[in-house]
Amino acid sequence: MSQMTYGKITADILRPIFKLSGLWGAALALSLCGVALGGYCWAVQLEQGMGVGGFNPPVMWGLYITTFVFWIGIGHAGTLISAILFLFRARWRTGVYRASEAMTIFAVMTAGLFPILHAGRCWYAYWLFPYPNQRELWPNFKSPLVWDVFAISTYVTISAVFFFIGLIPDIASMRDKHDGIIRKIYGALALGWRGTAKQWYHYMAAYGFFAALATPLVVSVHSVVSWDFAMADTPGWHSTIFPPYFVAGAIFSGCAMVLTLLIPMRSLFKWEEYLTMWHFERLAQLCLLTGGILTYAYGIEYFVAWYSDNPYEWGTFYYRPTGDYAWAFWTMVTCNCIIPLVWWSKKIRTNLKWLFVVSLFINVGMWFERFNIIATSLAHMFDPASWSYYLPSRIEMGILTGSFGWFMMWFLLFSKLMPQVAIAEVKEGVRPPLKSDEEAA
Amino acid sequence: MSTKVKGVFAHLDCLMTGIDRLQRAGFEDLGVAAPLPRHEIEEALFKGRPSPVRWWTLIGGATGACLGFTIASLTGIDWPMAVVGGKPIVGVPPNVVITFESMVLLGGLVTLAGMFFHCRLPGNDTDEELCDARFTDDHFGLVVRGAPGAKGAEAAEILRGAGAIEVSGASTSAPQSPPPAASDPNSSVEG
Repeated sequence: MSQMTYGKITADILRPIFKLSGLWGAALALSLCGVALGGYCWAVQLEQGMGVGGFNPPVMWGLYITTFVFWIGIGHAGTLISAILFLFRARWRTGVYRASEAMTIFAVMTAGLFPILHAGRCWYAYWLFPYPNQRELWPNFKSPLVWDVFAISTYVTISAVFFFIGLIPDIASMRDKHDGIIRKIYGALALGWRGTAKQWYHYMAAYGFFAALATPLVVSVHSVVSWDFAMADTPGWHSTIFPPYFVAGAIFSGCAMVLTLLIPMRSLFKWEEYLTMWHFERLAQLCLLTGGILTYAYGIEYFVAWYSDNPYEWGTFYYRPTGDYAWAFWTMVTCNCIIPLVWWSKKIRTNLKWLFVVSLFINVGMWFERFNIIATSLAHMFDPASWSYYLPSRIEMGILTGSFGWFMMWFLLFSKLMPQVAIAEVKEGVRPPLKSDEEAA
Repeated sequence: MSTKVKGVFAHLDCLMTGIDRLQRAGFEDLGVAAPLPRHEIEEALFKGRPSPVRWWTLIGGATGACLGFTIASLTGIDWPMAVVGGKPIVGVPPNVVITFESMVLLGGLVTLAGMFFHCRLPGNDTDEELCDARFTDDHFGLVVRGAPGAKGAEAAEILRGAGAIEVSGASTSAPQSPPPAASDPNSSVEG
């Protein structure tokens, strides 16, 4: 970084924009195929009804809610990296936070599809919002489902604002490097930003306040999502450890997804100077920390179930590793608790291939964690007569694939339209141009 | 007659020297453009005064919290179900989430409005002299406002003396400037 100049940073970061490569095009085509498959499956579900979604009592929350929680969790790392690490002045966030924030926005956009999909009649999706019904009665504001609407709406709004604010100076750089229609479009998006001292002065103050507001928001959102489960008396869900357990899991999965996305991007955009091993190692260390918390939470859940002497609770926890869903449980444990341990070796966590492969395992493991919580508890509740076995249908799997295609489509488009690394912040990390330096040289 | 003088700097220490010398010479109305935020520029121009954006955040957050708690409470009062266990119709713990989320939502949106208001965004009413593509890339701009005639020439001379690579807008031609000052002992620039 010491060899960097401001001009080089601007040029390097803006270089990949609008430059389409074959690999990028292939990835976009694959994503669009996923979107098409998901769209087809959704159309089939709309035409034939929710039965094709594999739902049968008592398992009425299946793959859609699992995937909803998964994507909300993925969306946590972006704001964590951009807000919390900003307040802690962690310098390594600079290289990775823009892509992480983009990931957050697109992950939450993807998550937002699932309550609509799950509701079945999507044209009534606005019923999810709390407003009085025909008898002028409001929904119950003491319900965690209403809290969830508030929490996720606030999260997506504040994350989007925070993301856009961070982009403004870089969009202005884009504007100033182009002519014609591109200049006009980016000029409109830059809102007239000129980088005056007065603008920077108020901008930095506002940025700090956004970070301060977003920091507790990150913790609150997944806590609220966890209360969707923990407030119910369903065995395996009704637990006070859910909020920290869910927050740690969300950060764990989000950081792993950042690694999954940034490692190929680094090679594709030739950003070895901006996304260094130092950045990736810090992400891996954050995963090790949160993965450790998660493993501890898995263990404590068993202790609580045993110590409570509640036969239903213990029954569910005994069922998870030994019953019909043992495959899901052990996939979760292997991917989240065992495989990431290889990152304790510095040699492995500083090897890009290992980082990428392990991050993929974590993504898989974190999806299975949510599946394990939701499906096993609902399929094995209080009354043995109601026990059943739920497996996602082909339609659900198609929609799951579609969600990944949808997410990647937005991410890939963004990568060619906006700077993926924060130009102004990278400049803050290098030595400014000084006449005294030139004279000394 | 132009009353503004603009200097373009390639080096931060020269810019800081220019600001310092201009302020010492009595030029108070200065405008600076930079490709990144720098504390030394903020300190030189705003003298450590906190941005008024903080009041917008406070007012937005407080209003949001009050609104959130009120809505959650009124919906309970509107349909006062007797909950088993004697729990109150309006309780603090179940309303905390709505209160908090509303506080953050309104606090954030009002902060955004405050930032836009003080930065004059969206808009383009900043000094024309500071509209320069180099200032979002790798150069710094310094504009001296309210400097007609001889004052403009004096400002231009100070800018050249500080190391500006380009000076424009002075209404009278300035005398040949001395070689640029490498680093002024009165200005402090950290890497």
